[in-house]
Parts: sequence; C-alpha cells; structure tokens
Amino acid sequence: MSCHKESKLVAIVDDDDSVRVTLQELLRSAGFASQAFESAEGFLASGHQQETACLITDIRMPGMSGLELQARLNSERCKIPTIFITAHGDEQMRFQALRAGAVEFLPKPFDDEVLIDTIRAALNR
Amino acid sequence: MRFPDQMRWAPGSARSIPLRYGLAVVSVAAALGLATAFAQFHIPQTFGAFALSAIAVTFWYAGTKPGILAALLASIVRDFLFDPQTSTESRLLFDLVFLVFALLMTQVVRGRNQLELKVAERTAELTQLNDNLKHEIAKHNQVEAELRLSEAYLAEAQRLSHTGSWAWSPPPGNIRYWSEECYRVQGFDPKGGLPRYEIFLQSVHPDDRARIAEVIETAVRNKEEFEFDYRIVHPGGEIRDARSVGHPVLDPSGDLVEYVGTIIDVTERKQAEKERERLREAQADLAHASRMTTMGELTASLAHEVNQPITAAVNGASTCVRWLTRDDPDLTEAREAASGVIRNARRAADIINRIRAISKKGESKRQLADVNELIREMIALLRSETNRYSISVRAELDADLPKVMADTVLVQQVMMNLIMNGIDAMKEADRDRELAIYSRRTENGLLTVSVSDTGVGLPPQQADRIFDAFFTTKSQGIGMGLRISRSIVESHGGRLWAADNSPHGASFYFTLPAPADVGA
Repeated sequence: MSCHKESKLVAIVDDDDSVRVTLQELLRSAGFASQAFESAEGFLASGHQQETACLITDIRMPGMSGLELQARLNSERCKIPTIFITAHGDEQMRFQALRAGAVEFLPKPFDDEVLIDTIRAALNR
Repeated sequence: MRFPDQMRWAPGSARSIPLRYGLAVVSVAAALGLATAFAQFHIPQTFGAFALSAIAVTFWYAGTKPGILAALLASIVRDFLFDPQTSTESRLLFDLVFLVFALLMTQVVRGRNQLELKVAERTAELTQLNDNLKHEIAKHNQVEAELRLSEAYLAEAQRLSHTGSWAWSPPPGNIRYWSEECYRVQGFDPKGGLPRYEIFLQSVHPDDRARIAEVIETAVRNKEEFEFDYRIVHPGGEIRDARSVGHPVLDPSGDLVEYVGTIIDVTERKQAEKERERLREAQADLAHASRMTTMGELTASLAHEVNQPITAAVNGASTCVRWLTRDDPDLTEAREAASGVIRNARRAADIINRIRAISKKGESKRQLADVNELIREMIALLRSETNRYSISVRAELDADLPKVMADTVLVQQVMMNLIMNGIDAMKEADRDRELAIYSRRTENGLLTVSVSDTGVGLPPQQADRIFDAFFTTKSQGIGMGLRISRSIVESHGGRLWAADNSPHGASFYFTLPAPADVGA
C-alpha cells in the first residue's frame, strides 16, 4: 500500500476531546484541513491512511498507543510523516520515536509556531 | 315448720320419731314415779307439778306433737291414778290446766324456733360478711405485695441504669421527692433525708450552676420541659457527668404544681463518646494518610491530566492570536477561540480543585451525594493512569441511582483504591485490559457499585484475606488500601467484598444503603 503524496489532509489522533477539538481549530486558523480521531484504532479503521499527508498523534491512549500506531503504519509500508505530541516525553521515548521515523516529538503544551512549521515542512516534502 | 339441721334445740328433727314420742311417755312415767315416791314420804299432790315439768321437757326437747301427747298422757294418768274420786268438773278443770299449759308450751316452742331461725340467719349473714372481709383483706395484701415487688424492681432498674427520679415544687424551693438512686447519683446519703435546694445546688459544679439556674428559670417561666447536662461534685471530690430531664405537672386550671423528672449518671457514656470520637479521628487520619500516599503515586498522572486542558487552552490562545494577526482579522473566530481558552482553563482549575478536595483532611461531613458523579470524577482524574497502561475504562452507571448520605471524599477514596488496584492487577496482562465499572440500584433499595478488571485475579483460597491490614501482593505498598476502604464502606452502613471475575480477573463490589425517603 502506498500513500498519496498529493493530499494535504492532516490527521489528528488524541483521546482527549478538548485537545483534539482545539488542535483542529488551530490547524484551521493556519489554513489546514484536518480530520480528528479518538483512537489509533479508529484512525486505522477509517481507511484514511492513504489520504493522510501528515499525522499528529498523542502517545498515551487507552488501547493502542501512539508508538504502536507508528509501528503498525511502518509495517504496512504506509510512511506517513508523524508528529508526536505528548505530556510524557522522556528522553528515551523521544529517541525511540525519532528513530522509528517520527518527524517531530513535541511536549504538551506545544508552541503553535513549531507545530505549524513542522506540518508545512511535512506536507511540502 | 322445717327446722334447719343445725338448730340445737330441735333434736327432734334429726332424731327418729319413736325417740321423740318415747320421750313423752318416759317423761310422764317419770313424773308418775316421782309423784308416787313423794306420796310415800307423805308429800301429796305433787303429780301436777311433775306432770307439768314432764310436758314442758317433752315440748322443749321433742317438739309440739310429742308435747301434746305428753299432756294427754299426763291428763289421763292424773285422772285415773291420782284423783279417781273427784268430780268430773274438777277433773276437767285439771285437764284444762294441762291443755292451757300445752298451748302455752306450743307458743313457747314456736317462739324459740323463730328465735333460732333468726339467730341462724344472722349468723349466716355475719359469716358471709366475715368471709367477704377476709377475701378483701387477702386481695389487698396481694395487691400490696405486687406493688412492693414492682417498687423493688423499679428501684433495681434505677440502680442498674444509674437513673434517679425526682420531684420539686417551683420556684425551685422545695425538693419534694428523691428516689434512692437519685440520692446516689447526686452523691448524697439516702438516710440523710431530702436536702434543701441550696444544699443540692452546692453539689453542682460551680461552672455549671449559672447555666442550669437559667435553664430551669426559663422552663419554669414558660411551664415547659427541660433537659440539660451538668457536672456533679461528689463528696470525695470525684466529678460525675449527669443528665437531667424534667417536665411540668399542671393542675386543671393550668397552674404549675410541680416538676418531675429523672437524672441519669452519664459519666461512662460521655467517656465512651470521647473514646469513639478519638477513634474516629484516628481512622480519619489513617484514611487521609493512605489517600496522600496514593496521591503521591499519582503525581505524574495527575500532572498529565491537568496538562490536557492547559494544552487545549494554549491551542485556543494560539488560534485566537492567529485569527487576530491576519491582514484581515476575523473577530468572530477569535472570540470563539478565546471562549475556548476560558473553558479549558476552567477545566484545568476543576481538576486541581478535585485533587485538592481529595487531599483534604476531611471533616467527616455527610451529605446527599450522587455516587455516579463521584465515580465519573474519579475515572476522569485517573484517566492518565489508565491510559498509561493502555487500559480501557467502561462505565455503565444506572441513571436511576438514588442519592445517598455519604462523605464524598471518603467514597472517592474507595473508588480510587479499587480502580488503582484494578490497574495494578492488569499492568502486566497480555490480554485486553478492561476496567468495567457498574452502578446499580438493587430491589431492596441498596446502591451497588462494582469494579471489575481482567488482571491477575484474586489469590486462591485467600479471597477474604486481601482485606486484612498490611496484606499486599505488590512489591511496594503497605497493604492498607482495602482495609481502609472496607472500614469506610462499613461506617456508611454498607459492605465491601471481592469475587472472581470470569474468565479472568477480579471484581470488587460495595453497597451503600439508600435513605428510604429520598427521591432520586
């Protein structure tokens, strides 16, 4: 399975309603279209992986974690540029995520400029 | 005329007829014999006298008919044996004498019989009255004995319960009555007699005198009941606590006659209450310490939990700035985003407040609580912790759950403990990790909450031991969590127990009684 690179869709995966919603609003104000999912499973089941040009995901979630999602996508050969946002960023986790191909690893709360710039970079790749 | 058998003077009725008529014959014969004998000794004309005696005796002892027979016999005997020469007229005259005498005797006997009847009647009456009187006396004695017995029981009851009864006439001038136990409770000698009110007042602790004087004065003025506690100083210096209850007795016109009431020595009771209070405080301290320990373990999770709404607020603020920094600022969007900031910042504050509430010492205040709400709050507070171990939480809470009187902090502590235990049990589990929380109202009005996990399950054969103090299967932890949770639930009148969950894991259940008159 290969993923379309022309699409500009950003996918958000976070189990916290408020983070999800405000992140979507933030992206909208920056001119990005986005789709939000409550869980990694929900994202995978939606079948939107192919259209997703950038994935923003939390790490700690009930059920499949963000890192597990990354691994899954990697195994499906669907390399979506992934930005991790998490409150639990320790050095080891950061290193692990980046080594698995993550574009960025941001602690919560994050600087919106950094996020937007990273997304832009990922989309223009 | 029928004579009663008891009559002494009519043996003729009890004796046979031959005997009675035989007496007539015998007595006349005796008169004859005696007259003959007397005649030998030159004393003539005595038969008349003896005959009359014989007739009298016969009438008296044998009755009317034999008497008449005796009179007849005497007449015949006199006529033919003592005076054959006399003329018929003089003979008839003598016969007449006998006849008249016989008639007289008839009356005499009749009168005697009537007298006897009257006497018997009177005697019967008197006997009856006497019996009635004896009966009354016996009843009276019995009643008195019962009364004495009941008084003895009452005195014993007063002694055992350290309750004395009293009566005084207002204004508190005269003490009218003190039961024996009343003397003892007040520290007086029963043999000393009723003390004067001033003397009694001296036995009251000086610090309490003014207060009780005021209470009594108010009660007397309003003719109402009173109740107060005070301290009594006993002769030896010992201080006892007493509770006095009194109520007014009014006469038909509504005036105050007297006050009657009880005094109870409540010293032991007060001490027990103090002990209980101290125990309660100790338990509250222990529960608090346990809570704080758990909160310490949850620091990271709680921080993460607060972080979420703060992140959302920052997102909102960033969004707001973006909408405003355009060439063409969109105020509507900016306002929307700013409102979101406020909302999320408040949410963060709520979480902090919830943490603060749980960390409070707690005044053991019972209030009507919505247990479902407490459960939801705790689930929210521990969300980061459940996420950390990839545990999904399923809550099915009965919407019809009644409100219960509970200490919300303590109930949340129980929920926290059970959820944390569930998380611990599933940390290493390979299978799907699910924490299921149910709340239900049962038929008998109880409220039941269950927390089920799919973890390691209960230690075999030791299902109840897990509630013991200091029992733990974890490498860390003191093992007081379940013990404290159980005592919290039980102090609310409920039960906490564990059971195996199928196919894996354990379920913990607790009940809380719902107030009967509360509408949901």
